[in-house]
Amino acid sequence: MATAAHTRPPFWRDVRVLRVAGQAVFVILVVVVAREMFLNLEFGVRRQGIDLSFDFLQQRAGFEIKEGIDYSPNQSFLRAFRVGVVNTIAVASVGIVLATVLGLVIGVARLSPNWLLRRMAQAFVELIRNVPVLVQIIFWYVAVVLALPVIGGGLSVWGVAYLSNRGAAIPWVRAEPGAGAFGLVVLVGLAAAAAAWRWRLRVHERTGAPPRRFPVAAAVFGAIAVAGYAATGGPLSIEVPQVDRFGYEGGFQASPEYTALLLGLVIYTAAFIAEIIRGSIQAVPKGQREAAEALGLTPGQQLRLVVLPQALRIAIPPLNSQYLNLTKNSSLGVAIGFPEIISVSGTIINQAGRATQMLLLVMATYLTLSLLISAAMNGLNRLVASRGALR
Amino acid sequence: MSERTNGEAMIVAEDVEKWFAGFQALRGVSTTVRRGEVVVIVGPSGSGKSTFIRTINRLERHDKGRIVVDGIELTDDIRNIERIRSEIGIVFQSFNLFPHLRVVENLTLAPRNVRRWPRAKAEEKARQLLERVGIPEQARKYPSQLSGGQQQRVAIARALVMEPKIMLFDEPTSALDPEMIKEVLDVMKELATSGITMVVITHEIGFAKEVADRVLFFEEGRVVEEGPPGEFFSNPREERTKQFLSQILV
Amino acid sequence: MSRPPAVPRDLERAPMVGADERVVEVAPVAAPATTREWLRQNLFSSWPNGLLTIVTSAILLYLAFRLLRFVFVSADWSVLKANLRVYMTGRFPVEELWRVWAAVYLVTALAGISRGMLLRTRWTTTRVLSVAVPVVLLIGALLYLVDSARVWLLLGVAVAVLLVGTVVGRRLGPTRRAPLLVAWVLAFPAVILTLRAFGGVKPELWGGFLLNVIVATVAIFASFPLGLILALGRRSRLPAVSAFSVGVIEVVRGVPLVAWLFFGQFVLPLLLPAGLAVPNIVRAMIMFTIFSAAYVAEIVRGGLQGVPEGQYEAARALGLRPARMMALVILPQALRSTIPAMISHFISLFKDTSLLAALGLFSELLRTARRASASIEFIGLQAEALLPAALIFWVVAFSMSRWSQRVEVRVGVGER
Repeated sequence: MATAAHTRPPFWRDVRVLRVAGQAVFVILVVVVAREMFLNLEFGVRRQGIDLSFDFLQQRAGFEIKEGIDYSPNQSFLRAFRVGVVNTIAVASVGIVLATVLGLVIGVARLSPNWLLRRMAQAFVELIRNVPVLVQIIFWYVAVVLALPVIGGGLSVWGVAYLSNRGAAIPWVRAEPGAGAFGLVVLVGLAAAAAAWRWRLRVHERTGAPPRRFPVAAAVFGAIAVAGYAATGGPLSIEVPQVDRFGYEGGFQASPEYTALLLGLVIYTAAFIAEIIRGSIQAVPKGQREAAEALGLTPGQQLRLVVLPQALRIAIPPLNSQYLNLTKNSSLGVAIGFPEIISVSGTIINQAGRATQMLLLVMATYLTLSLLISAAMNGLNRLVASRGALR
Repeated sequence: MSERTNGEAMIVAEDVEKWFAGFQALRGVSTTVRRGEVVVIVGPSGSGKSTFIRTINRLERHDKGRIVVDGIELTDDIRNIERIRSEIGIVFQSFNLFPHLRVVENLTLAPRNVRRWPRAKAEEKARQLLERVGIPEQARKYPSQLSGGQQQRVAIARALVMEPKIMLFDEPTSALDPEMIKEVLDVMKELATSGITMVVITHEIGFAKEVADRVLFFEEGRVVEEGPPGEFFSNPREERTKQFLSQILV
Repeated sequence: MSRPPAVPRDLERAPMVGADERVVEVAPVAAPATTREWLRQNLFSSWPNGLLTIVTSAILLYLAFRLLRFVFVSADWSVLKANLRVYMTGRFPVEELWRVWAAVYLVTALAGISRGMLLRTRWTTTRVLSVAVPVVLLIGALLYLVDSARVWLLLGVAVAVLLVGTVVGRRLGPTRRAPLLVAWVLAFPAVILTLRAFGGVKPELWGGFLLNVIVATVAIFASFPLGLILALGRRSRLPAVSAFSVGVIEVVRGVPLVAWLFFGQFVLPLLLPAGLAVPNIVRAMIMFTIFSAAYVAEIVRGGLQGVPEGQYEAARALGLRPARMMALVILPQALRSTIPAMISHFISLFKDTSLLAALGLFSELLRTARRASASIEFIGLQAEALLPAALIFWVVAFSMSRWSQRVEVRVGVGER
């Protein structure tokens, strides 16, 4: 690929050589600085009497964790860390779903023909967006949840759910032996329904018969699910929580910390999601709504069938960054004692002192979570984009 | 018109080839442009005309072949590249004026920062050139306040302020409204008669007939035909040239 | 027929549309002429709509009633009254408070001048109301909270400085924008000097709202050049440089700020040479700076992408070397278009300074508010302690975002 070789420029003026040399210098600089910092680190760590290995993670933890999956202080630090990770996922996943729902509602309300509703939604967004999320979380925690009535004298929702300063309890499903098998049956049913969906689509394209994809797929799934449920002995039941002076029994119990963190994260993120939804609805060309109206669709149908699908496509990238923000903001649980990743890691650092390793572990975990969420959103993006590009 | 040239070769291109990813844009272009010559390049879009003149001043890097400008060979040697660039001025289809600077600042930016001219000297030269292209009163305006034709004339002045020996024009009037094309072409005609070497990509056949010394027809990365405008337009040799001309000549 | 609004690059910070916003309706409706017609159209256009209005109004009135009753009747604001100084300046020694006032006057004067130079206010009724009502409320609150006449005097001087500054700014006119920018850049070290110089107050004692402002300002100033370098590095055609920049940006943005603050407290001192003792607050400032730089880098990158390729070509063709090209042609254009996003980022950064409360080391505004209700005399007054802090954050963030929209129009972003 060289130009005619009879005049090779001297290397110090050769554009391509300079490019390579520039990179080499840069890399050397970075390596030198990194090495310097690493040596400092080793020295400092040794002065503290510890090392840079991750072996300590197998040692006995020796501290309690307020809530989360099965754990006892006799288990390892690594196990404790896992509890933190699961707690983070627990609050982030529920938070993302609830925030999206709430954000959708408020975003649509921002565009309502009803002036009052519009203004209220606007006021909500302006109020929530401009107060730091940590302030909101702490507010929910100290001023609301902890200020709820004592358990036993507390609020109940329709007699099946309860709120108190010990948290919330809502009805939940309980899994008995056979639930695992039923779970598998559900997955099989979903796969069969997906296959039935595609089959009906092919039939429609070949013969022109009405596709009826949804009814057929739903019927397939329903049949398999019901058969599977009966075959595994009906392993699921609804558990309604009971309450007495000492605590909750049964159901899904959310600690006050979890409740406050969830409330704070959901409301804060919903305000931003509402703006994203509003912006993306407004970005759908006006002609689309006009065409839908001309076809005789009601405003509700216009929104649901024409505007929202297109708007959601536009909204996916900014929604992705909001979901990432919510996940990262879950780390603020440390301020109210919710045992998520940061909180647990802080305790481990107090016990074992290996801050460098723990922080590396924390960083790797959050980066992985971010990657997973972004990958899912990218997949979603490709799915909706392939169904017909916008422009 | 060919009395202008003294035969000295200003641009020599030998078998120039260029690829963009898998696509070959230039398939062995060879031509020589002599001092004072006005060469017009025509051809369908995608034929490589723009790529070719951009390789001359290294806005694109040619992959094979040889390019020599005023005796300096165009290689990866920075010094050569810079010397060549200082002898070439280029005018783009989309003007590319600097929107955040006034017209006079657009003109004086290069001489003050590349040639280290003092401000007074640069502004004096700018004023002269603005007069030459016919818009001295627009000096303190911003490009967005000017019409397309005026902006392109400023672009020509900006290229001229570095006193180049060669001027390249990449479809200078294609982005202009019809009523503004004439003012730009007039400036270019004046330049042509002043003896500067020019390579112009354009669809303006009238301009070519009037001032060109030679016309090149590009198609699919090659020079299909070339010749003086008289012969080229009335009596083309190649079949493809005839086809192209029948499409663009009314 | 106007185009639909383009999706702003920063959708979460899209400006709120006000009374003239377009609504999802198709056939143009005749503009309402009387109040009755307006009510009919906007609130009661159909019976579900009317029902919605009634229900929403009921909820709204109930909430308003509860809020007003709380604020004026049942709340005990003594916790705020006793701690007002701590809220604002933390453990700053009382005898050195004149330094804070001096800094306040400096900034207020500059703000007044900027306001006079850049903003031309059209005093519509809504505008007058939206300024008058909060001011009246503020004065009312201060009447209750502030007993000392000296503080009233100092506050009065601040207002006077602002007004005088505005007049001076009007007189100077909008032509001297560059010196104004320089003045603001210099104001920041000037404030630090005022607090620190001549046996001043150590950073460890800075607290309250003052600390939030200072940390945010340090971070924004220091992160700007750093973010610029990262953005240029990311766009570099040298793969090693670009990969390194991308790596830094993505890692910094992918990890929560709290984790970075912990990093700053525990790991950063180990990475630096052993003899170097960096105060806690400086470690926090460093981490805020790095965190902010990653976001600034992305904003600048967006701005750079907005500069047409032809600008680079024209500059190169004229013979400008890369550094000159960047400084004289590309960056001025790129940076101007990033102003709205930069201001939005600064607002977020300011809110993020509340995260210092999670470390338990610094008595900035949020931590101060939280601890105020922990002492025996104020136990049980958590809401009264937290709400003023929330309000202060809200006022700053809200007014900055409103102001940024007006500056955007005034500077003509996107016009040239």
